[in-house]
Amino acid sequence: MEIFLMYLKVFAVGGALCALGQLLINKTKMSSARILVCFMLLGALLEITGAFGYMKEFAGAGVTVPITGFGSTLVKGALEGAKESGLIGAVTGGIKAAGAGLASVIFFGFVFALVSRSKSKKI
Amino acid sequence: MFERGAYIASSCTMVGPKEDAGAFGGLFDIVLSDDRCGEKSYEKAESRMHRTAIEGALARAGLADDGVDLMLAGDLLNEISASNLAMRHFKTPFLGLYNACSTFTEAVLLAAMLIDRGQIQRACCSTSSHFASAERQYRYPLELGNQRTPTSQWTVTGAGALVLSDESVQEDERAYEGFLERVSSLPPSDFAAKIAAKKGKMPVKVYRQGHEAPFDAVVTGGTLGRVVDYGMLDESNMGAAMAPAAADTLIGHFEDTGRTPGDYDAICTGDLGRFGSEALFAVLSSEGVDIEAKHLDLGAEYYLPEQKTFQGGSGAGCVNTAFCAFVLPKLRSGEWRRVLVLATGALLSKDTPLQKESIPGISHAFVAESAEKRESTLEKAQKYYTIGQNRE
Amino acid sequence: MISKDAYKRYVEKNAPRSPMWRSMTAAFLVGGLICCLGQGVHDGIAAIFPAMSEEDIASWTTVTLIFLGAFLTAVGVYDKLGHFAGGGSIVPITGFANSVVSPAVEYNREGVFFGVCAKMFVIAGPIIVFGVVASVIAGLIGLITEAV
Repeated sequence: MEIFLMYLKVFAVGGALCALGQLLINKTKMSSARILVCFMLLGALLEITGAFGYMKEFAGAGVTVPITGFGSTLVKGALEGAKESGLIGAVTGGIKAAGAGLASVIFFGFVFALVSRSKSKKI
Repeated sequence: MFERGAYIASSCTMVGPKEDAGAFGGLFDIVLSDDRCGEKSYEKAESRMHRTAIEGALARAGLADDGVDLMLAGDLLNEISASNLAMRHFKTPFLGLYNACSTFTEAVLLAAMLIDRGQIQRACCSTSSHFASAERQYRYPLELGNQRTPTSQWTVTGAGALVLSDESVQEDERAYEGFLERVSSLPPSDFAAKIAAKKGKMPVKVYRQGHEAPFDAVVTGGTLGRVVDYGMLDESNMGAAMAPAAADTLIGHFEDTGRTPGDYDAICTGDLGRFGSEALFAVLSSEGVDIEAKHLDLGAEYYLPEQKTFQGGSGAGCVNTAFCAFVLPKLRSGEWRRVLVLATGALLSKDTPLQKESIPGISHAFVAESAEKRESTLEKAQKYYTIGQNRE
Repeated sequence: MISKDAYKRYVEKNAPRSPMWRSMTAAFLVGGLICCLGQGVHDGIAAIFPAMSEEDIASWTTVTLIFLGAFLTAVGVYDKLGHFAGGGSIVPITGFANSVVSPAVEYNREGVFFGVCAKMFVIAGPIIVFGVVASVIAGLIGLITEAV
């Protein structure tokens, strides 16, 4: 039951974030890159203010799977870096924390670009 | 208005599979079952389609590859590269044109003007566009998971060519038949296509359009358009950006010629789309002109509603292939006696909207009429089959 | 001819709009499902490797989801999903993977060097730039607050 409740929360919060993104698309005709930047900055802001931790506790992947999680990871890493090793930590901490995402996206992008080709749409 | 006009000697259209599944399905000359056309990229494919369409039109008019005096061509790619690359194969003077989607009417008007003045005898007008190459050129990578807005249009994958001549020309069945044989031996483009070919599904489908043609189609005049900018900023709503240009050209045309919409059997706009057509009516109604009864938007008609193209087709190949496949036979059969064809172009590049420029539109119109033919008519019913394989 | 302002008003009033409720529902459902999938991957990894730290689990979850997004993009499914779900498939991290992989795949015909590598971030570039800048600023803020 507890697990079901957890997944329900993940579904509701994650879905709500995505629906908010859709609302932005419908209302402002923003391109997908702009939407991603907005949500990432939102995540970064929530992390700075400290609200993100509570949200994560509440909804888990509902807030970390959307790109807000990427923003929060970056900021969290920078804050921890600043705490541990001062100025250089503040500058490098973000990238260090987000390294897994960045490295994998570049690697997979490269590999798939070598083996795949874009297809014309049929819809 | 021209004194003598220019005869439409022949035409040839080549389109992708989606176009053939649309409202004008079965009316085209050559249909690709694979829109990469045996090439490595969509840009190369577009260029090849462009070249093939020209070859087809020339063969049909019974002309050699250098049989026309001038070629006018354009497309939507960077520096009109599809046309440029296609022109390598013809030893004919070439004028490259760009007026976005209205390139076709621009080419036809220019050629007709030159022929009317006796400067040249024959000219070939061709344009092409390809959904996949245009999508990359103006919008996003194909695989990006974004949503197309309901005001957006679908770039037609198609190339068409039209040979204009100063005299009535009998179509050359034998030369055209030879051309079709060559085209249908196009090699399959990738592994999947090879498997399909082994099963007998050829990469190219050929429709033999025999025109019951008691009449000649003649370009008898037209109106060159001005660039009109109504400050539209949304690059996914090009119909709205182009409608004022179409209205401007239409009003200019009726003023110049003293004609009314009633003088035409049809007024075909190129690719305003469904909303763009409504916007055109709205602009025209403020001028007291009503064309609704005669109006036909070839772009909006191009695809069926269930094909989810929202506003309909667009692109340099849209009005071209629709005119050659749909309007021209109607003129030749005498069903329509006089039509106004008015293609519209949205003059934007990928960068101009980013620099906060608005989208100007342009529209060129030409008049095509059917004229009595003196020679005997071609007796051929409309047949439809695939080479080497009957259609399932 | 009609005035520019009047025409602008006409277009704004009459242009067709995205179906609001339908698109929002689609985004909500698909987005929610992708997030649940992420939670499932997270819980799965945690169950298989109980010794793994929370941070490593999060990293592995991210890598898995990015792989999924990249794979679906490469086989040509993600654009169809995006067409249906809109924000639902853009906002999750899989959408980020899609925005990197789709130009890389698109431009592979221009070669590996100037095509794939140079064009990989034509869409996702701003995300990384904004993200890194935001993280550095946040780090500096962290430094200052700690000093105070």
